[in-house]
Amino acid sequence: MPQQLSSKEQSLFRQVIKYYESKQYKKGLKAAEQILRKNPNHGDTQAMKSLIQNSQGQTDEAFALAKLALKNDMKSHVCWHVYGLLWRSVKNFEEAIKAYKFALKIESDSIQIQRDLALLQIQMRDFQGYIQSRKTMLQQRPQIRQNWTALAVAYHLAGELQEAEKILTTYEDTLKQTPPKSDIEHSEAVLYKNTIIAETGEFQRALDHLEAITKNNLDRTAVMEMRADYLLRLDKKEEAAQAYRDLLARNNEYRAYYDGLEKSLGLDKSDKGSRQKLNELYDSYAQQGERIDAARRIPLDFLDGDDFRKAADRYLRRMLTKGVPSTFPNIKALYSNSEKKQVIQDLVEGYASETVVNGSAEKQSDGETSKNFHPSVYYFLAQHYDYHMSRNLVKALEYIDKAIESDPSAVYYNMTKARIWKHYGNLQRAAETMNHARTLDERDRYMNTKCAKYQLRNDENDKAINTMSKFTRNETVGGALGDLHDMQCIWYLTEDGESYFRQRKLGLALKRFRALYDIFETWHEDQFDFHSFSLRKGQIRAYIDMVRWEDELRDHPFYTRAALSAIQVYLLLHDKPEIAHASLANGVPDMDGMDANERKKALKKAKKDQEKKEAEAKEVEKKNAAKKGGTGADGEPKKEDPDPTGSKLVETKEPLEEATKFLTPLLEMSPKNIEGQNIGFEVYLRRKKYLLALKCLLAASSLDSENPSLHEQATRFRMTLSSLSEPLPEPISSIIEKNFTLLPKSTDLVAHNEAFLSRHKNSPRHIHAYLKVRQQLEPTSQSENEKQMQALLKLENIELEEAIEGLLLLDAWSSGAEVKKAYVDTARERWREASLFPAAII
Amino acid sequence: MDIRLLRPSDIPHVQQANITNLPENYFFKYYMYHALSWPQLSYVAVDVSRPKKTPYDPPKVVGYVLAKMEEEPADGVQHGHITSLSVMRTHRRLGLAEKLMRQSQRAMFETYGAHYVSLHVRMSNTAALHLYRDTLGFKVDKIEPKYYADGEDAYSMKMDLSYFREEAESSEDDAEAVDEGDEVGSAGKKGEGEAKKGKGKKRKVKVGRGLGVGELVERNESVKP
Repeated sequence: MPQQLSSKEQSLFRQVIKYYESKQYKKGLKAAEQILRKNPNHGDTQAMKSLIQNSQGQTDEAFALAKLALKNDMKSHVCWHVYGLLWRSVKNFEEAIKAYKFALKIESDSIQIQRDLALLQIQMRDFQGYIQSRKTMLQQRPQIRQNWTALAVAYHLAGELQEAEKILTTYEDTLKQTPPKSDIEHSEAVLYKNTIIAETGEFQRALDHLEAITKNNLDRTAVMEMRADYLLRLDKKEEAAQAYRDLLARNNEYRAYYDGLEKSLGLDKSDKGSRQKLNELYDSYAQQGERIDAARRIPLDFLDGDDFRKAADRYLRRMLTKGVPSTFPNIKALYSNSEKKQVIQDLVEGYASETVVNGSAEKQSDGETSKNFHPSVYYFLAQHYDYHMSRNLVKALEYIDKAIESDPSAVYYNMTKARIWKHYGNLQRAAETMNHARTLDERDRYMNTKCAKYQLRNDENDKAINTMSKFTRNETVGGALGDLHDMQCIWYLTEDGESYFRQRKLGLALKRFRALYDIFETWHEDQFDFHSFSLRKGQIRAYIDMVRWEDELRDHPFYTRAALSAIQVYLLLHDKPEIAHASLANGVPDMDGMDANERKKALKKAKKDQEKKEAEAKEVEKKNAAKKGGTGADGEPKKEDPDPTGSKLVETKEPLEEATKFLTPLLEMSPKNIEGQNIGFEVYLRRKKYLLALKCLLAASSLDSENPSLHEQATRFRMTLSSLSEPLPEPISSIIEKNFTLLPKSTDLVAHNEAFLSRHKNSPRHIHAYLKVRQQLEPTSQSENEKQMQALLKLENIELEEAIEGLLLLDAWSSGAEVKKAYVDTARERWREASLFPAAII
Repeated sequence: MDIRLLRPSDIPHVQQANITNLPENYFFKYYMYHALSWPQLSYVAVDVSRPKKTPYDPPKVVGYVLAKMEEEPADGVQHGHITSLSVMRTHRRLGLAEKLMRQSQRAMFETYGAHYVSLHVRMSNTAALHLYRDTLGFKVDKIEPKYYADGEDAYSMKMDLSYFREEAESSEDDAEAVDEGDEVGSAGKKGEGEAKKGKGKKRKVKVGRGLGVGELVERNESVKP
């Protein structure tokens, strides 16, 4: 039963709510306790008190009290509502929804509870539930437009387009007069309706509707784009062409508009017959202004032969004479066509040998620009020879030195020089050179960023954070690194984590990857407020766009990269659990060279060191916290991180379960990423989830049937299946045999492996896969495999990275020190500058 | 490089471009707040010609302008505000900043009837000052002492947007001559209508603390873009 309070206490209770809402928690608690002194079992008050406790970070106490409140007053909607709010605050939305529904059963007209329920339903994408809630809310307040729009949104997201449109039309029909032109909510609502019509595929109806609303609409760009699109789809080419011309008159740097215009004019870049006309078309746009880039750059995509040479010559001269530093980045996409790559190389090499006067032939009168020409040419060529598709690092270095000679303080040139060192594999020199470039313009954060990145590549983590700290808000809890976390600086956390991984400081590596995982959680949750906010703002199209994008948030390469690395760490922890301890403080000591006793000692010492370090760190942290009162960037009190070095993370008992947390979204959102499928196999095989492992193999095979990892994994899978200690139960085993057609049971694995090699005689990674398989099939072949690995270093097309992977493979085979040394010596002859061969392994 | 409207899916890379280039940084949610409150105003420059390594690679953002309308203008005049603008150092001198700004400004005028656009720039940032003043036509309105978190002063700059009105009117004349239909024609009329109505009148649609994303705005003020 709802419990009664005296009138004095009733007003106190109202105050509790007021204090809670205005975040005056101390006063709120005091008032609540005052009520509870006289009414110790008053459920509603206990509930409110628990809500306040929760806001102060006392989550456990809050839940205990809220449960007690419910026990005291099961029939109170306040208690249930609060219980739901608590679950919501710890992000258990299912439980929260249940609690809200109980609350609504008791108090069915509560707008507040209904609203909270609806928000969770849409956040959880419970579309049918959301439709029901929105219907109720519309019935409660049909006079508010938002409620109509919201129901339409609910139907729309559920895929019920007709219903969505009907709701919007019903509301429009109730309008006695058309809202004024300045009514942005109306302007957006009608445009939103138009997008729904278009989604039904009825483009003629969408066009008619659009033309009826065009005149009063405030979003001109959208209206014009939608109209052009509909016209083209409806094959009204003449009108479509005009529509795209109108768009280009507003923005002539957008390829989608040019593409639309081409299609409207019946032109096609891949059709030789169109090229003349296309060239004229783009030329006419290029003539419209000096500053237009797209119309000059696009023809280079479709022209070929002599036409291409002429156009490229004109384009390059123009840009290089102006000294535009982005000329190379703007042009390198053409290099996928090797003929064009050669033409460009010949042209610019030609410029380099011209005398200064000839070089600026087109603009001889302009003394200022002609001075730019030669350094720009050298700079271009340095980037050209540094680029992986046209790499010749000796030449690259030669040209960048020439450019630097002309202007030693040019930031760009020095930056490119650092990049060249990086590609040489000399990370030390690369980092030093980039730092020099940074000092040439210390106020530019871009240079600061580059410098820190290069330091991380060189595993100088402390230097890197120090560099970053020149631009971060260092008064934040956790200093510069804390600020980078707060500001969700993905690139830094990724590079820092990968660097720690290379150094086998697995705790810190996991720490960063977990931080990245959490950032994606936050980004997902960030949409929550907009479910209500966007309705008030009336910008529905943008909201729909956002909701749909959030559903695929984790297909982002930022997530994929972090997940792949994190999973690798967990796999390593599973395969070599002793590494967990070794990696605690100082990276991995050379455990292989020790006997068991020494190993134990080393582990013990490492652990001790680590504990000592942590104690010190905690002490410092405590002092800092006391000094600053510890608030984060958002002004909220920030909890101290009890595990700043990730030593708890690294000691996980369930590395494969942890890996699966990263893996599941990866496979679900990026199924076409072959690296994801490769690593998925590794996780599932170790977890003995053979069907899921097979699924990864099949997915990888459909993406690239000759993928080197796939070859090795498929063979290993077959070997695993045939050596199981007890056979798999039916139906699993027959499902596997039926679907694992990549390597049927009867396959001669040795012959299969040899056939694979004969198909890929010149590809280092494929040969690695071949050797890995042979090592597994015939362990006695090791010395032969080692020899072949060494011979690979003589392959013309082998890259430095592949050479390092070879070394790691030798290490995995526990090859002898002399074998590894011989390998590294040979590699060093080839990559004289490279500092990259991991010292720990050699 | 393409110049086009910023979409929600661009935000991770816009945030990355921002923290790569500038000392004033924001949460993801603050970008969302812009993209969902004034989806017409923010633009990106993207490199569309880069070959994709996986089907999931979003286009690389090489520059952006993050813009908003002033929620409650102190002077009562509708106007836009540039929250953040930057172009990667590797992609400078292609005129991207100017092209981004121009698109954003037109949308401020067309969609929200903005009369002018304002922004802040560090007094020591001569390159940006040059861009805003000499290339784009901004004027220094006043100096805001200690505007930035590190204590540096800012120039508060303004640019009048009436040139869009003139442009719209003259294209209306053209429209009558070549008969391009009522689309272009109504732009001019709309401009006039907005001018009369917009002056000194507050928008009906308000955002801010009361509407649930208050903390975002709060954050903005404490950081000072």
